Amino acid sequence: MSRLTRWLAPNATAHAHCDLPCGVYDPEQARIEAESCFRIMEKYQANTDETFRARAIGIKEERAELVKHHLDVLWHDYFKPEHVEKVPNLHELFWSATKAASRVKASVDPADGQKLLDAINDIDAAWKATGGLEKTRVAGRPG
Amino acid sequence: MRPAIEPGDWLLVDPTIQRWPRRGSVVVFREPDGETLAIKRVAAGPGDRVPFADGHLELAEDEAWLLSDATAEATTAAGHGPPVDSRRYGPVPLELLVGRAWFRYAPIGRIGRIRARDVGPGWDALEPFGRG
Repeated sequence: MSRLTRWLAPNATAHAHCDLPCGVYDPEQARIEAESCFRIMEKYQANTDETFRARAIGIKEERAELVKHHLDVLWHDYFKPEHVEKVPNLHELFWSATKAASRVKASVDPADGQKLLDAINDIDAAWKATGGLEKTRVAGRPG
Repeated sequence: MRPAIEPGDWLLVDPTIQRWPRRGSVVVFREPDGETLAIKRVAAGPGDRVPFADGHLELAEDEAWLLSDATAEATTAAGHGPPVDSRRYGPVPLELLVGRAWFRYAPIGRIGRIRARDVGPGWDALEPFGRG
């Protein structure tokens, strides 16, 4: 952009959007599915029965896919450009977390499950730092 | 807000206004439930009554009812959800007002004043959606 254009350009962007955000975004959904994966991996290690293991892998595949879906919705619909200023590595956090979810699909080692949970915790911190708890979670949850 | 405001328009916004401008004006403001910087039209101002639930809502002396120019039918036809405006987040208090968008200075083919309008196409009944 030429110097003149840069000087003339607006310093803020206003939105006239007509989308329907649901207003409720919570990393908890991703975490619950990730906890499921972690437990499945533990149970897999503790049980040598073939059928059990086959089913465990099937369920882990499904749940890890849900982790990726919930992370995707959070990334696209909750987080806004102004949040990236507050959490500059936001996109990396999501990249790491979704890669960890893919790793969980391919692995039966609970250590990989733990890495996914840790990655989601980082996203939870970013969500809280940008007001997610106050703005989107509905009050009155049982403890 | 098309066709009055198109994506990419560069606007001059008067930030000096101390109260909600008249009905039909285009304003820039922070949304109440997310603080996104948004642009809509003033459909009703302080003291006005807007249809709400089974009755009416009377706007306080510092509140305005801000609506998109689009109707719900138009946005659905375009593949979006219903317009995000006061029908979704209610009246907007004066402290969230940033300014009145009064002139478009780019693109060159669209240079000109932004006209106030008495009423937009979807405003007939000012029906609210309720919270989604």
